[in-house]
Order: sequence, then structure tokens, then C-alpha cells
Amino acid sequence: MDNGNAFAHHAGSSLLHELDVRCKLICISLMSLSLLKATIPALSGISLLLFMLMIHSGIHPWEVVKNLKYFLVLLVLIFISRTMTTGGEAMVTFMEITITKEGIFAGTMVVWRFFLVMISGILFTVTTRPSHVKVAVQWFLAPIPFIPEKRAGVMVSLFLRFLPLMVQKSRQVAMAQKSRCGHLEKNPVKRVKHLALPLLKNMVQSADGLALGMTCRGYTEDRTELALEPSGREIPVMIFSVFMSALILI
Amino acid sequence: MNPSNTLKMTIYTALFAALIAAGAFIAIPVGPVPIVLQNMFVLMAALVLGPRWGLAAILLYLFMGACGFPVFSGGSGGLGWLFGPTGGYLLGYIPAVAVTATLAKSLGHRPLTDALAMAVGSLLVYGAGVPWLKFATGMPWDKALALGLLPFIIGDLIKIAAGTWAAGMMRRIMDKTGA
Repeated sequence: MDNGNAFAHHAGSSLLHELDVRCKLICISLMSLSLLKATIPALSGISLLLFMLMIHSGIHPWEVVKNLKYFLVLLVLIFISRTMTTGGEAMVTFMEITITKEGIFAGTMVVWRFFLVMISGILFTVTTRPSHVKVAVQWFLAPIPFIPEKRAGVMVSLFLRFLPLMVQKSRQVAMAQKSRCGHLEKNPVKRVKHLALPLLKNMVQSADGLALGMTCRGYTEDRTELALEPSGREIPVMIFSVFMSALILI
Repeated sequence: MNPSNTLKMTIYTALFAALIAAGAFIAIPVGPVPIVLQNMFVLMAALVLGPRWGLAAILLYLFMGACGFPVFSGGSGGLGWLFGPTGGYLLGYIPAVAVTATLAKSLGHRPLTDALAMAVGSLLVYGAGVPWLKFATGMPWDKALALGLLPFIIGDLIKIAAGTWAAGMMRRIMDKTGA
């Protein structure tokens, strides 16, 4: 992954890269819905499928893990909190904190589901151009009255561009702070302030630069749109997705 | 609003939706509802963007989450999560943004009035989130309040102070650039 950024698009010719973005959006929605009801066998099946798709799309699992290290810490915290707040058969009791068997099971399931949602989101963003997402969103929103679908499409594509930019900028600011010995600062409020303030300024400046660039290039909402070209594999993929989701949900 | 300003506000709306999504990852898990910075950015969007564009930012964020992108707290996403036990908090963002933005605008954007508007917005989020949590999980009121409101009060006061200051700073930067 270039720049080690797991949230940015990477060119390729895999099945996911070539699949129509509308089909991908429907599949990701169905999968996130199915994950709520998924039991251990279903979660194992989805995990295996996503792992295979990741390899096929040229995404190295180790790179994803490296990019998601903060997210993984969060998952560990969620797991610990679940094990301690879910009632049931006590396994370990230490200083009035009880870890239950049911808590470990509930924590594992929640963390597993969150991780799979994250991986499916990464697979989508890595294999899809934001400009294609814009056109697909317009296509989905066009029949709904009172929604400016073109503007909404632009917002969605910009949202997908800003997420990796934010990750990149936060790394730059963190490195700049480190080079000034900012990591030795002991006050957590000051550390957060020194990271958040330049990051927010940077992001606003990036937004301004983007607005200026788009204005200079004569951007209007009424321009010729990109045509989405189905690869021909959408129907079998959709049938498979609907069938699997129905199986998990029913 | 001229087309150039509309474009700028469209970009800022997307930026705030992305900030709200990023804020969902900065979470401190306590029970079933984690403490997240997401609601600070939601209310900041109301203060900085105003009622119309603030609402657009929150609707964009909810739309992305409903589509299955991992933008809800802790990296979850999907329609199921939107209507799950914490869905009330997410849907509560809509009235919270509308009221916070309108209140802050009518009171003239001073630090104290902005903080008051954010506090009212926070109350609206909990007003939607706690009853939803109670009915979705079937837990009694006292437990719903203990898990879905009380642990977050101190954190929310800090977030209101930080959010008011950060929103003021962002407005100043945006004013300089003519948004």
C-alpha cells in the first residue's frame, strides 16, 4: 500500500476492482446487516471470504494490521470492557472485578464483528475510485425527491478522500511533534492540544486548497458524468450475496 | 450564496462528516456505549457550519454508516447498527445539530452561548439515546441511565469546553479564507 495508507484507493485489476461500484455498495450493506445476526460459523465463513478477497485484491494483511494498530487497541479495550460488564458465570475475580465466561464470549463476538466491518470498509475504499462512488451515489439518490443528488455525490467522494488525508496529516503532525521532542511532554491535555490544533488547521487549509483548485478548474454540478461499466460478474455476485445474507438472517 | 461559497461549504460539510467519522475511532469504551469524540465533532459541525450545512454533514455521516462503512463508534457500520441499542444516540444527532446551530446563531456565537448551545445539543442526544437504549435492550430506567448517561457527564463537559474553543478557532480560520 503506497504511503502505508489503508484508507486510500489503490489501482488494480482484481474482481473487486472491476466490479460495478453499485453492486459493491449493495453487497457491503447486506454484509454489514448480516454481521449483526452472524454466529461463529457464519463469522468464520465471512472472515475466510474477506481474507481471500484481500489477498486477491493485492492487499497484504500485515499492512492492514500495521495501519489499524490504534483501531486494534480500541478493539482490545472494547473486549476488556465487555468481559467485565457482562453478567454470568464468574471465571476470575480480582479486586471486585469479575470476568465472566459470557463476557468473554460477548466480547469476542463484538470485536470480531467490528473487525470484519472495518475490513470490508477497507476492501471497498482500496478497490474503488472516489469518482465512481460519486456516480453510484447519484444513481441511488436520483429517484428520491428533494435531495440534490449531484451535490450529495460530490460530498460522498470528498468524504472518502478526506479520510485517508486525515490519517496522512495526523502522521505528519505526530512526526513533526516528535522531531521537536513533543513526545516527551507529560501533560496529556497539552499533547492532545499540540496534535489536534495543527491537524484541524491543516485540514481546513487542505479544504480551502481543494475549493480553490475546483473553482479554478471551472467546477460546476452540471458536468458530463463518468459512465459506470459493469464487468458482467455483478449478477452472480449479487445472487451469492443475497443468498448468503438470507441464510444468515433467517 | 454564490456558487463559489456553495462549493466551499460542500467541501467543509464533507470535511466535518470525515471528522465525525474519525472521532468515532477515538473512543473510551465503558459498558455497551463507549465515550467517543464523535459527538464533539457533531456539535462543532453545528457551530461552524450552521443549521443547513451542519445537518447535511450529519446526514452524510449517517448515510455512510448506513451503507456499511465503518464510521460508527468503535468501527461499526451498517443499517443494523443504526437501529441497534446505540441507534438512538446516532439518530439524536439530527435534532441536536439543528437545535445547537439555530440556538448558537440566534445567540450570536459567543464562547458562553456556544457552550450553552452545545450543552442543549448534548441533552438532546441523550434524550433520544437513553430511552432508545432502554427499550432496545429491555433494561430498567436506572440501569439505562447508569450505562447510557451518567458515565459520560464529566467527559461531555470537557468535550463542550474543548469543542467551543476548537469551533471558534475553525470559524476564525474559515473567516480569514472567506467561507
